[in-house]
Amino acid sequence: MNATDMLLDVRGLRIDIPTPKGMLHAVRGIDFSLKRGETLCLVGESGCGKSLTAMALMGLLPRKALRRADMLSFQGTDMLSLPERAFNRLRGDRMAMIFQEPMTSLNPALTIEQQLIDVHRQHRNVSVKEARERALFLFEKIGVSAPTERLKQYPHELSGGLRQRMMIAMALMCGPQLLLADEPTTALDVTIQAELLRVLRNLQEEFGMGLILITHDLGVVSRMADRVAIMYAGEIVEQGDVHQVFNRPSHPYTRGLLECLPIPGRHKHMTHLPSIPGVVPSLIGDFVGCAFRERCQYAEERCAAPEIDWRQLPDGQGYQCIHPVDSFGAMHSAAMHEVSR
Amino acid sequence: MYRYILRRSLSGILLILAVSLATFFLMFAGGDPATRMAGESGSMADVIRIRQAYGFDRPIIVQYLSWLGGFVTGDLGRSLYFDMPVSAILVERMLTTMRLGAWAILLAIAIGVPLGVAAGCRPNTKVDRFALLFAVVGQAMPTFWFALLLVIAFSVTYPILPSSGLDSWKHYIMPMVVLSYFAAPAIMRLTRSGMISVLDTDYIRTARAMGIVPHKILLKYALRNALIPVVSLAAAQFGYMLAGSVVVESVFAIHGAGRLAWESILRSDLPVIQALVLCFSLFYIVLTFLADVVNAWLDPRMRIA
Repeated sequence: MNATDMLLDVRGLRIDIPTPKGMLHAVRGIDFSLKRGETLCLVGESGCGKSLTAMALMGLLPRKALRRADMLSFQGTDMLSLPERAFNRLRGDRMAMIFQEPMTSLNPALTIEQQLIDVHRQHRNVSVKEARERALFLFEKIGVSAPTERLKQYPHELSGGLRQRMMIAMALMCGPQLLLADEPTTALDVTIQAELLRVLRNLQEEFGMGLILITHDLGVVSRMADRVAIMYAGEIVEQGDVHQVFNRPSHPYTRGLLECLPIPGRHKHMTHLPSIPGVVPSLIGDFVGCAFRERCQYAEERCAAPEIDWRQLPDGQGYQCIHPVDSFGAMHSAAMHEVSR
Repeated sequence: MYRYILRRSLSGILLILAVSLATFFLMFAGGDPATRMAGESGSMADVIRIRQAYGFDRPIIVQYLSWLGGFVTGDLGRSLYFDMPVSAILVERMLTTMRLGAWAILLAIAIGVPLGVAAGCRPNTKVDRFALLFAVVGQAMPTFWFALLLVIAFSVTYPILPSSGLDSWKHYIMPMVVLSYFAAPAIMRLTRSGMISVLDTDYIRTARAMGIVPHKILLKYALRNALIPVVSLAAAQFGYMLAGSVVVESVFAIHGAGRLAWESILRSDLPVIQALVLCFSLFYIVLTFLADVVNAWLDPRMRIA
């Protein structure tokens, strides 16, 4: 990989949150990187640390949360030593984020126009008129009907889908190189979801943005991702090219996730969908060994060893497991085909 | 917005009518007013004469309408005690109290809101602790006691401020401070809790994620939303200052409406009490109306109602 292609490089990111019961190790040393124009999907169930990871990248962690990392580099800038004011200048300008809750993420007391213009004028020396033109330009790209009227409206006058489009417009006002999207379509109904994902994809291609998409929906992953990182209990357990990971899931958790996907035809004779038995372990206090071992059908004594090595395959796929599942590929290529773009 | 104001003022007028009706019947709350006015030594002939002179012999609805009509045209009847028109006594007293109350509520807002913002931004810090202490002391200290303390300090020990009357701006300082210290703690607390909850919302997170500078987030994105309940509270407190300023007016020997109300109750001067109650209610209704309009301006979601 060419160094100038690298947009974001994260090594050994850890997030600890003090709680009355002890230290919660919410994110436990994760590595990933993102190239220009690439889409990385962070996948995992609730509480696996994927949203916290995004908040840490934006420097928006709760005040009491502790962030540590060996490296956190964005366009060659070392984010770890960046003063808060300089970080604030990057936010909304070179990196931006959209959130899961379109209903509550916009300020109820200000018009859409005021909020969009504020973002643009915060980072660029432009007139109100120029900022408004930028907003209308983005509205056209995003597919907003009656754009000039929308500007004058308040968030409560818009539907959930429209509000999320406004959030996307706000995030793109300054043309960021990195866009973080934390479950951007989860709160919306399915047809709007598909439409918004298409919009996001088009915008990403047009502006050449790096996109980190956080989701628990593997359908979204197959439609959007170039690469995918599967998170479990604060760790990335497997990552790689989306086709490789979906066709040849090596970690038992990845495999379990893919099996849980409802695919017409596959579960014809089943009365209920398969699920992964057991619960996620508590991350309070010191935790050693593979976090998934309690729920893993292949678990053995070695899985409780303090360090489970990361195994890197030559094609870029990697996983953290001592007994990868191989015999799964054939079955899942069918599944991949069903959900693929 | 204009439709909202129109609808809101119509309901305000209906409320005024309802209040006026209740106030009117105050006159009959103590039994037959003519008998009472005639006094213990009055004969039956006196009662009948009074009844005719004051029109108590007319049907009740006619009495109400003529009283209401008089009120609209500024004729509030005659005081039983002073033997002069109620309006002549009332206007001066109301203006005095309103002037004092207005200055006091402005001071209370000027202290309570910034202190509440400072405390709400950084809960559990020194600023916050100081603000809460300020509030607890203000709420726990009896008004008359604080007023007397001020008089002892600034009129007796260090005679720099006059202790009674309202003749110059210097006279206003102590009563204003006492009244505003009574109102500021609640304003401070509500601003503080409003800021704490608003700063925790998704839309503030959005503003931070967009790199909006912190002071702008605070003053434009957060405060506007946090102030909505504070506006209603301040309006209610302003109203309360008018009716409840009896204590302060007594300590500082101010001839205001609060004192007039208290004295009139002692003298059973019913026309004055009636007029005062109606004026206070009117004032309350106007204040809540204004508060609602300000809130509708702050929060567009309220404009529909």
